[in-house]
Amino acid sequence: MNMPAIEAPCRHNPVQIGKILRMFLCLAPLLAGGLSFVYLKNQQFALGEQIRQTERAIRETRAENEVLLARVTSLTSRRALQERVATGFISVVPVSGDKIARLTPPAQDTDTTALRTAFNGASLQ
Amino acid sequence: MNKADRTRIIIASAVASAIFTGFSARLVHIHISKHEEYSRLAAEKHTVRQVIHAKRGMILDRNGEILAANLPVRTVFADASHIKNPQDLADLADLAASRLELDAKELAEKFATGKKYIVLKRQVPEQVTMDLFEEMRNRKLRGLYSEKDSIRTYPNATMLGHIIGFLNHERKGIQGIERVFDAELAGTGGYRYIERDRTGREIVPYRGLEVEPEHGRDVRLTIDMHLQAILEEELDATYKELSPETVTAILVDPKTGGILAMGCRPAFDPNNPGGAEPEQMKNRAIIDMVEPGSTFKIVVAAAALNEGKVDEKSSIFCENGRFAYGGRTLRDHHGYGHMTVHDILVKSSNIGSAKMALMMGADKYYEYVRRFGFGERLGIELPGEIPGLVHPPSRWDKLTITRMPMGHAVAVTPLQIAMSMAVIANGGKLMAPRVVESLEAKDERGTTTKTPVVLRDVVPEKTARFVGNALAAVTQPGGTATYARVNGFSVAGKTGTAQKVSPKGGYAAGKYVVSFAGFMPVEDPRFVCLVIVDDAKVPSNLNYGGLVAAPIFSRICEKAARYLDLTPTLPAIPLMDSSLAKNNNSTLKQD
Repeated sequence: MNMPAIEAPCRHNPVQIGKILRMFLCLAPLLAGGLSFVYLKNQQFALGEQIRQTERAIRETRAENEVLLARVTSLTSRRALQERVATGFISVVPVSGDKIARLTPPAQDTDTTALRTAFNGASLQ
Repeated sequence: MNKADRTRIIIASAVASAIFTGFSARLVHIHISKHEEYSRLAAEKHTVRQVIHAKRGMILDRNGEILAANLPVRTVFADASHIKNPQDLADLADLAASRLELDAKELAEKFATGKKYIVLKRQVPEQVTMDLFEEMRNRKLRGLYSEKDSIRTYPNATMLGHIIGFLNHERKGIQGIERVFDAELAGTGGYRYIERDRTGREIVPYRGLEVEPEHGRDVRLTIDMHLQAILEEELDATYKELSPETVTAILVDPKTGGILAMGCRPAFDPNNPGGAEPEQMKNRAIIDMVEPGSTFKIVVAAAALNEGKVDEKSSIFCENGRFAYGGRTLRDHHGYGHMTVHDILVKSSNIGSAKMALMMGADKYYEYVRRFGFGERLGIELPGEIPGLVHPPSRWDKLTITRMPMGHAVAVTPLQIAMSMAVIANGGKLMAPRVVESLEAKDERGTTTKTPVVLRDVVPEKTARFVGNALAAVTQPGGTATYARVNGFSVAGKTGTAQKVSPKGGYAAGKYVVSFAGFMPVEDPRFVCLVIVDDAKVPSNLNYGGLVAAPIFSRICEKAARYLDLTPTLPAIPLMDSSLAKNNNSTLKQD
C-alpha cells in the first residue's frame, strides 16, 4: 500500500553571507577602533612603565654620582690629605733637578731680573 | 502566535526595557551629571602630590674647592597594610633587620600593627637601600619603601667651620654662610601629581601637573683654602704651644675687602655640632669685643695729619714718659722727649698719641674713630657681627680722650681692627668686608658676582701713605715689632697689647690681649693680616704683641707670600731665633 508522501516543513535557516558581510563591514571600523584603543592603551602603559624604570635608573645613577662625589671630596679634602701626610701614607719628596723636564723656559720678571720658575696665575686676581 | 503569547512577550519586553532604561539612566547620571564629583573623589583617593626635593647648593672656596657638599641617604619606611601574608611578614622583618641592622622581632611587631607609615630608619646609605630593594624584588616581597634625604658634609671638618656654619635636623642653616644664604642654597622644591596602582606603584600615563624644582645655588667664597690652611696651621700651633684662651687671625685683601682667610680657636667640627661647646662655636673675629691696644694709634695719627693739627715734620713733646692729665699720670714705656708723628708710631708712644687727640678735640677725634669703621657693623655676610662699643664724647670722662688713642676705653671686633689697617693699606679707602664672591647656578639664573664696595674715603691717599711708611718702620730695627719681618719683603704693621678687662670690673691682673695688625708688601699691599692672642700662657714680661703675635704674623705672611708668588723686593735678612725661646728682655719694646 502506498502511503502518501508527507512533505517535511523547511526548518533550516540559510546563512545569509551577504548580510553578514555587510554587518561585518559596518562593524569593522568599530572593532578596529576598539582594538586600536586597547593596543594603544597597552602601549601607553608599557611606555609609562619604561619611563618609570628609566627615571628610577637615572635617579639611582645620580644618587651614586653624588655619593661618589661626596667620597672624592672627602678623600681629597685638605684635612684627609694632611692626615695622610701626618701618618706617612703620602709624603712630599723634593724633585731633583735632573727629573724636571721644562716645557717652557723660566720667565724673566718684567720689573726685576728675577727668573720665575712658577707662576701661580689663579692666585693673582 | 496567538494573542496571549504576544501579550506576554510585549510585557516581558517592556519590563526588560524599563530595567535597562533605568540602568542606562543611572549610568548617564553617574557618568555625566555626577562626573565632576566622582572624578574629584577618585582623584583624592588615588592622586598623590609627590614632592621633588631641590638639591642644596654647595659652598666653594674662590678656586672651586668644595667646602660643603651633600651625601644622599634614604629614610626607609614600611606600609604594613601591604604585608598580608604572615610568612611574608616574617621574611620581610628578617631581611630588613639584617640590612638595616635592626631587631627582627621588634620589626615584626611593628609590621603586625598594619599601619601605613612606619619609619624604620633614617639616614640609610643609598647603596644599602638599593641592595635591600633588589633583594625584595628577587624574593617578591613588598611593603618597604624609601624617601630621599641627604646629609650635609663638611670635608674639611674644623677648618673654616665658623664661616661655613652648619644645618639643623630640619636642614635649616643655623650658623655662618649656611644661615645667611639659606634661601639661596636651599632652592625651591618642586612637585608632581601622580596616581598609584593598588601595589603602590606610580601609573605614569596618569601623571598630572608637574613643577620642576629650582635647585639651590652654589656659594663661592672669597676664601682661599691654601691661605686658610696656612692660617689655621699657625692657629693650631699657637693654641697648642701658648695655651691662650682664644686666638684669632684674619687675612684680607685691602683693595677689595675680600676675606682671604679667617679663623679662631677654639673651633668646632660642623659635621658634629652637637658635640661642641657654645664657646667653640663663636666666630670671634666678628662677635668678640677687645680693647685693641696700640693698633688703635693709627687712627689718631691719620686723623691729626688729615686735620692739619700736625704735619710730617711736627714735633710733639712726650713729657719724658710721664704726662699728668685729668688727675692721673699717663706713662710711656720709655721716657721720650720731642718726637715726630712717624716716631710716635714707631715707638708707640701713648703720650704722643694722647696729645694728638687733645689737639683735635673730642668731637673731631670721635668722628675719625667712626670713619675708620669702629662702632658700626661693617656688613660682612656672616651672622652675629657686633658693632663694638665706642661711646660718644657726651659719655666720655675727662681721661677718655687720652686713653682712647692708645686703644683703651673702646671695644672693637678683630674684623674692625683688620679693616682699619686695610684703610691704610688701601690708600685711605674703607672697603666693605665680604666673604662671598658670587652665587652660581647652572640654569638661566647664572652667576651673580658681588662687586667690592667702598664704604667711604676715610683719609686721603697721601695721609694713608705717610702712616703706612711709619708702620713699615715699626718692623725695622728700633721698632716694636722686628719679629714681624718677612724675609725679602717690606712689612708694615702695628703691635697691640691691652690688659684684659675683668668681668668683675677693672682689669684682670697679668692677663693680656696681644695683637699684631699689618700688611705687605708696603709698596703694593696684597693682603692685611691680623693676629690676636688672648691671654697667652707666657710670662708677663714676654706677653707683648711684638713678641707673641708678631712672629705668628711673620710666619703666616711668609708662607702666604710664597703661595702668592710675590716677588721679593728686599735682600734676605739673617734668621732670628724665636722671640719666646730667646727670652731676651732687651728686645722688649713698648706696645
